[in-house]
Amino acid sequence: MLTLQRLIADLSAFWESEGCLIEQPYDLPVGAGTMHPATFLRVLGPEPWRCAYVQPSRRPADGRYGQNPFRLAKHLQLQVVLKPSPENVQQMYLASLERLGIVAAEHDIRFEEDNWESPTLGAWGVGWQVVMDGMEITQFTYFQQAGGVDLAPISAEITYGLERIAMFLNKVDSIYDVPWTETIAYGAVRRLEEEELSKYYFEVADVELAALLLDRSEAEAKRALAAGLVIPAYEATLTCSHQFNVLDARGAVSATERVGLIRRVRDLACACARAYLASRGGEPSPVTEPEPAAAV
Amino acid sequence: MKREDFLLEIRTEEIPAPALPAAREDLGRGIGEALSDEGLAAESILSYATPRRLVVWARNVPERQADREAEVLGPPASAAFDPSGKPTRAAEGFARAQKVEVSDLVVVESARGKTVAVRRMVPGRPAPDVLAEIVPRAVGALSFPKTMRWGEGERSFVRPVRGVLALYGKSVVPVEVMGMRAGNSTVGHRVLAEGEIPVLAPTEYFPKLRGAYVEPDGAARRAAILESARRLASQVGGRVDADSDLAAALADLVEWPGLVRGSFDPEFLELPEEITTTAMRVHQKVLPVRGPDGLLPYFIAVMDNAADRRGFIAKGNEWVLNARLADARFFFREDSRETLESRLPELERLNFQDRLGSYAAKTARLEELAAAIAEAVGRRDLVGDVRVAAKLSKADLTSRMVREFTDLQGVMGGIYARAEGQPESVWKAVYDHYRPHGQGDDPPRDDAGAVLSLADRFDTLAGLFRLEMLPTGSRDPYGLRRAAAGAVAIAVARRWRVDWSAIVKKALSLYPADLPGMQPERAVDALQEFFGERLRNAIERAGSSYDEASAVLAVGRWDFADAAERAAALTEARRRLDFRSLVLAFKRIRNIVEGETGADPSPGLYREEAERALAADFLQARALLDELVKGRRYAEALETIASIAPSLDRFFVEVLVNAPEEDLRRNRHALLAAIRREFTKIADFSEIVVEK
Repeated sequence: MLTLQRLIADLSAFWESEGCLIEQPYDLPVGAGTMHPATFLRVLGPEPWRCAYVQPSRRPADGRYGQNPFRLAKHLQLQVVLKPSPENVQQMYLASLERLGIVAAEHDIRFEEDNWESPTLGAWGVGWQVVMDGMEITQFTYFQQAGGVDLAPISAEITYGLERIAMFLNKVDSIYDVPWTETIAYGAVRRLEEEELSKYYFEVADVELAALLLDRSEAEAKRALAAGLVIPAYEATLTCSHQFNVLDARGAVSATERVGLIRRVRDLACACARAYLASRGGEPSPVTEPEPAAAV
Repeated sequence: MKREDFLLEIRTEEIPAPALPAAREDLGRGIGEALSDEGLAAESILSYATPRRLVVWARNVPERQADREAEVLGPPASAAFDPSGKPTRAAEGFARAQKVEVSDLVVVESARGKTVAVRRMVPGRPAPDVLAEIVPRAVGALSFPKTMRWGEGERSFVRPVRGVLALYGKSVVPVEVMGMRAGNSTVGHRVLAEGEIPVLAPTEYFPKLRGAYVEPDGAARRAAILESARRLASQVGGRVDADSDLAAALADLVEWPGLVRGSFDPEFLELPEEITTTAMRVHQKVLPVRGPDGLLPYFIAVMDNAADRRGFIAKGNEWVLNARLADARFFFREDSRETLESRLPELERLNFQDRLGSYAAKTARLEELAAAIAEAVGRRDLVGDVRVAAKLSKADLTSRMVREFTDLQGVMGGIYARAEGQPESVWKAVYDHYRPHGQGDDPPRDDAGAVLSLADRFDTLAGLFRLEMLPTGSRDPYGLRRAAAGAVAIAVARRWRVDWSAIVKKALSLYPADLPGMQPERAVDALQEFFGERLRNAIERAGSSYDEASAVLAVGRWDFADAAERAAALTEARRRLDFRSLVLAFKRIRNIVEGETGADPSPGLYREEAERALAADFLQARALLDELVKGRRYAEALETIASIAPSLDRFFVEVLVNAPEEDLRRNRHALLAAIRREFTKIADFSEIVVEK
């Protein structure tokens, strides 16, 4: 049995040994680990950066009232960012699987084209989904642009879908049966939250409040930018993005509005990226070693 | 001269499978052409590709270029020598600069007239030096749908380049590709082989690579997949669909294809087969297994591995496929609670295109257009059915099944319509109306489906042409080229004789008049051009040459089926009959009477014997021709036309067309214009290319 918490501990230890700083989850609702400033802002600019963290990722429209065995309103991603992308990055990834007890020669592991794009972040990348024995277990992306800025150096982003991998390694038919610990199942920890979040986002969430929060957060992001405060501006942008997702789950976004709303959030994200680069203006940032300090 | 093989291997991270065939071909051709241009033509060029390497093997490349004489031009002869022939300062300066004696200078003819020059032998360069220049150029010239940067972000390619092998005979070609210095070693399969593998000569490469679990030849990988799949299927009493597309796609996802059979829960066999096979083929990329009475609860998976040593691979695929099928069954049951009819209001909220409104609006247009098309193709009896099919055709877009399995649009609607008890012609029309999906795909099975598919295509094309959202270069986001090519293919396959311009005008008229973009009249012209190109492609693919297609299209392009038949008859006739003199005669006629719309010639004004003979032959042929063309007996019609060639030839030899007498001249022009008018109803022969 590979418990979910063992999985997280093993992957974190592996990437720590590859020179990654172990970050903590960001303390705002985000749709994906990419939105954590440790990825979105750190991939900008020239400094080397290696970092890994778990990010709970909240996608209101994916909620299934705790009923669907595969879908969750909130799932866990383990995100790794490596800047610049190392030459042996694919081997590193395979070594991380080996750390989980997956011997590559006993499996079918393929890198199948899957390019990634986030219109709300003005970000896109090129890469693959990693498919093991027919199951997508990881998203592997070379970041090309973030916040509308062409990146150089290029970061490699590796995103493990933790529940999926845990389901697969334990051959259980439902996320809720994944062992969180040896004795406690995922469902015991999270099912109530899934039921309530689904009901809330689909039936209860106050549409007017979400629209108001979106508008006010947009204004707040602009105010913060005017005051030269990039992080608060970016946090307000994340709130806009989340409230957009809430409106979407409530079916309150028409097809024509969607384009406009996405553009508004993207404009903020792009402004934050530019402001971050400008505010950095040659200041060294805390940098992790580009190569692991101790060989594994 | 001594010759050696040249071998190039560019190792990359996984190249997307769809980009692989073109990259392989283009790189092979690029290297081959560059070698020829440099005077180092190889005896043959072979190219191979796997997801992780592009390989070119040039056989027997000459060791060095031949020496050649080069000319360096200097001042004009008039400035280099004085009238007495003595060299001037200009000549001396040029000789000094070129490090030769004045006596070595020669005078040559150049674009500037007589010019002083130095001739010297340039020794040919060794092949490795030339290859070192050719390779980066050929790699740089490759084009991909999408490229990326990596590492420091300085270079751009389809995926990061991680190693290069370049050998001319036994020596390493001193070349750098995408920042990687070439060497004489390769690597094997990512997980089945370890370490670097030295390659001392090109011929060693292939056996060593295969020994390291890499099959470089995509065709061999594909053949191995199909053969093993057949074997594994027959072991459970089944067979795999002869689906070479999927086998080819799978072959380009692996370096060493191994196959493994798995099974799924037989209770999923209750699902409509289309759902089960889509989950397998499209989502899971495994091959379904079919028995004598339908699907069997097995699948065959291709793995990038030699064997499933511990059974993990089969188990993993089984687990994922069962989960997908469980998902599909859930969607199917959920969807079945509603009827297509009850879904229609939801189409109001589903946008077809921002400016062109919702799918509800599209559906309303499709009803009108499908009815008009049914009438136009002589199936008035189908009007009722195609209206119902049109109304229901897009309802499945709101179903959960289609939202999850987008490839099943249309198919699901058809399945639901069948379950709801719609008549066969209705559900089949809904089911088939996205066909053909692309070149080589089957058109709809019957008339109602063909009518609906045409209506959908004309509607989409009309709307987007009105908005002037036309395809440019490789960008065709709405798939308009495919839509038009499909319409042509359907009309040709059904042999429906229709002037489609009337249907196009109708389609344009069903949109609001105030759309921005081009006016309907201009859109008709643009669409004529657009359809003409697709029709030309169809005609050329059927075996006609470019000029034959031009000849046929010049006399009518809005009746696709008719144009295709005229082209087929013309191409066939040219194999049997000698058209050369006929074509030359018609080119001559065109030059003489271009733009003239003559009255009929009057027999009283014929003077010459050859003239009377031609007129008589013409009248006789015309009567026959009218019948044949009306009956679309184009092969016989072309024979009849060809039979007039001798009298035309005689006419041009014996008769002075531009006679000094105006009435005679006019009458001769009128005769030729009439022949051109009557005899170019099948093809304008003057468009055909012949040697003079």
